[in-house]
Amino acid sequence: MSDKLKQIINKQSEQQNTPELQLDNVVQLVGFVIGDEEYAVPILAIQEIIKPFSWTRVPQVPKYVLGVFNLRGAVIPLIDLRTKFGLSPKKHSDETRFIVMRHGDDVAGFVIDRLTMAIRIKKENIGPAPDTIVGDETMIEGVGKQEDKIITILKVNKLLERDF
Amino acid sequence: MDEFQEILQDFLVESFELVEKLDEDLVELESNPEDLELLNGIFRVAHTVKGASSFLNFDVLTHLTHHMEDVLNKARHGELTITPDIMDVILESVDLMKALLETIRDTSADAGIDVSACVARLDKVSGGTGEVETPAAAAPAPEPEVEVVEETPADEDELDYENMDPEEIEAEIERLLAQRQEEDKKKREAKLAAGEKVPQMPPEPQEETKEEDSTPPPPPPPPAAPKTTAPQGGNKGDGAKKDAPKAAAPTKRAPAAVEQTIRVDVKRLDHLMNLIGELVLAKNRLIKINDDVEERYEGEEFLEELNQVVSIVSLVTTDLQIAVMKTRMLPIGKVFNKFPRMIRDLSRELNKKIELEISGEETELDKSIVEEIGDPLVHIIRNSCDHGVEPPEERVAKGKPETGVIGLKAYNEGNQIVIQIDDDGKGLDPEMLKNKSLEKGIITEKEADTMSDKEAFGLIFKPGFSTAAQVTNVSGRGVGMDVVKTNIEKLNGIIDIDSEVGVGTSMKLKIPLTLAIIQALLVGVQEEYYAIPLASVLETVRISKDEIYTVEGKSVMRLRDEVLSLVHIGDIFEVERILDASEHAYVVVLGLGTSKLGLIVDTLVGQEEIVIKSLGDYLKGIEGIAGATIRGDGGVTLIVDVVALMQMARDVKASSLTEESGGVATSNEKTKASDYTIMIVDDSKTDRTIMRKALEPLGVTLVEASDGQEALNVLKAGEHNFDAMLIDIEMPRMDGYTLASEIKKYNRYKNLPLIAVTSRTGKSDRMRGVESGMVEYITKPYSADYLSSVVQRNVNFKSEFL
Repeated sequence: MSDKLKQIINKQSEQQNTPELQLDNVVQLVGFVIGDEEYAVPILAIQEIIKPFSWTRVPQVPKYVLGVFNLRGAVIPLIDLRTKFGLSPKKHSDETRFIVMRHGDDVAGFVIDRLTMAIRIKKENIGPAPDTIVGDETMIEGVGKQEDKIITILKVNKLLERDF
Repeated sequence: MDEFQEILQDFLVESFELVEKLDEDLVELESNPEDLELLNGIFRVAHTVKGASSFLNFDVLTHLTHHMEDVLNKARHGELTITPDIMDVILESVDLMKALLETIRDTSADAGIDVSACVARLDKVSGGTGEVETPAAAAPAPEPEVEVVEETPADEDELDYENMDPEEIEAEIERLLAQRQEEDKKKREAKLAAGEKVPQMPPEPQEETKEEDSTPPPPPPPPAAPKTTAPQGGNKGDGAKKDAPKAAAPTKRAPAAVEQTIRVDVKRLDHLMNLIGELVLAKNRLIKINDDVEERYEGEEFLEELNQVVSIVSLVTTDLQIAVMKTRMLPIGKVFNKFPRMIRDLSRELNKKIELEISGEETELDKSIVEEIGDPLVHIIRNSCDHGVEPPEERVAKGKPETGVIGLKAYNEGNQIVIQIDDDGKGLDPEMLKNKSLEKGIITEKEADTMSDKEAFGLIFKPGFSTAAQVTNVSGRGVGMDVVKTNIEKLNGIIDIDSEVGVGTSMKLKIPLTLAIIQALLVGVQEEYYAIPLASVLETVRISKDEIYTVEGKSVMRLRDEVLSLVHIGDIFEVERILDASEHAYVVVLGLGTSKLGLIVDTLVGQEEIVIKSLGDYLKGIEGIAGATIRGDGGVTLIVDVVALMQMARDVKASSLTEESGGVATSNEKTKASDYTIMIVDDSKTDRTIMRKALEPLGVTLVEASDGQEALNVLKAGEHNFDAMLIDIEMPRMDGYTLASEIKKYNRYKNLPLIAVTSRTGKSDRMRGVESGMVEYITKPYSADYLSSVVQRNVNFKSEFL
């Protein structure tokens, strides 16, 4: 009798544990496209996503720093990921968005070509960055594999780090 | 434990405040050793600290203050005259006390500092007697806190007197007087003489002193009570009763005064300041919107109401801003306080006689500035003592008074605070400064020759410059003055030096009242705007291009009798030249201390109050940019760092401003008819269709726009390379004339043929068309062939495409 009870209790606790385990194992990302590639960053690093509006150019910075813009009273740098990733600049379209990312106290807006979607991906499906680009300098956190494609997951802290 | 921490915090705050005042008092005491009130005050500080520290079990501190108290007590009773040597010991003990307090603040314990040497010296000064009785006896007498506490009950007692016999009251009064008169004796002798009972008392000073010294009295009643009651003693109870409220009045005021101020965390004030900053931005925006609305709905009734509200909001915001700014203000006396002590120490160390005259210490400055200004001032004053004021012999030989005077004053001047440091020393010799700098390779011979005296004075702020032939430990390490300059400039302040050999030197530090909100001049270059802190703007002038000369690869202009070097803001901030520069330019004359620079800008927008925001970690440290601000329209405008800009200007070669930029419009070779692109700008769909119909047979590419604004946007977008534009004159948003003149501002569209197509036929209309840059003027109605031929002629349409 007690054995049976134990079994049932065990089963119940197993059932309770599994969803939690699943939650722990899943990473939520936001995907976006730059050029032809799909990239993603952890959803928690994103403060907001806004439609493009005017910014002010800042002198003496690399080309990929477009300038600064006003986000509800705060002055925030705007970085063009196309240029940063070595692609030719493109005119902003209806699909262009600014993704405002935050890591600690660092905040910046990033221009991306197009949003794709929020992605849930299991941890075991995320592989390390290819050996050739592993190192402290890489901006790549890992590579997420999905059924039909792979997504490059970016390191937010590296994106927000000043490198000039 | 928490409670203890709380008490400890209070203790520390109180002690530091007391000690700060102590320094100043002690120095004054030295020059004025007879001042009993001063001595009492100093004694009380030592005593208060001693009392509190023994309660908190800080034994070392208690030990030290106890011995200080001994010495001070002797001095207080005239048994000891304060000589400079004694003062040295006392000051040393005050320093130790400070060090102990700091240790307590950091570690909550007072271990680690050896006070025995100092205590021994203190004991020696007090005659080595070190009687235990002296401090114990003296302790309670002047304790201020006890007095305050005791006063209230005393008052209550007094009220009770109403119910007493006159005799009892008199007896009571006598008792009080007996206890009390010693301290009040000197001041109140006259008054007491008027009283009936008292005359017997004054002639017994011996007894009084004894009383004071040996009876540890139960805390005496307030001085006010005996004073007021004494003369009226003979008037029996009545007098006492009447006087009671009077006596109570000052007592009541004391606790009330305590509640007049509260301690507020600086963080809260900073937050408040930030919020005000936001409000100021919103206000600017509101004003801008109001202007727009006014333009659009001119004459409407609701405008007046809106106007009123806007002006009230803007008025209140300004007041609020000032009010909040004031809460952050501290009197500069807080910084000045430490200088008498410093001067005293320095003059003893350097064997000079120096007097410090302070004025304007009540002038208020923002807290953050008060904190930053201390170090630069220390450097400057040390410098004045060391290099400025001469040794006494030399002064006498020069026929100057033996004692040198250093003046330190602060005052308001417009939106700035000026701190002026004067000395009557030997002054700065510009020739000597130049030679010195030449030797050290700070300047070149050529620079030295062209240098004005003022610029030569400025040399002392160069890194690596030190005028003292002999390096002393007071100053002259050659690092001081350039640090001063950097620190002051960090505060957006400037330094102005004036000096005359043999007469003295005067330095003026001009510092803005606050760091967060400043007045700025907004300037435009091409399509960008920049804000220049108004404090650095001397004047603005409008010049024509021929007034700019090039000397040794640098642009200069003549401004009255001066030659002003010029730099184009576009060259410094890498602004792309899209718009054609006009015949005239505006020059903003920037001044920083003695150096001047003319900054060429395209337009002057006006003066505005701006809130300084940082660019954040990612973009900090951009040369020439001090920060950013948010404008009324929500856009971000960068703030120019004038100090850095002046540095950068040196490396910028003469701008290409005077040269005509070569023809950019190298139109591509046309290989087919559709390579020609023509824009049709008309608000009427019908008219656009008519034009389209007329031109379609040519096979050219046609782009349409429905008004001037749209046309300009299409043009700016740069997706098409237009060969000609057909422009209607009457259009909403932007009319044809405006459009034409806007287009002609751009270099690359200089040669773009603009053809007016309009029903306006007046001669003046045609004239306006020509003025705004139109090349042809077609009046409606027109034939399709005519339009087509005009277009063909203007775009050099190749006949083979027909």
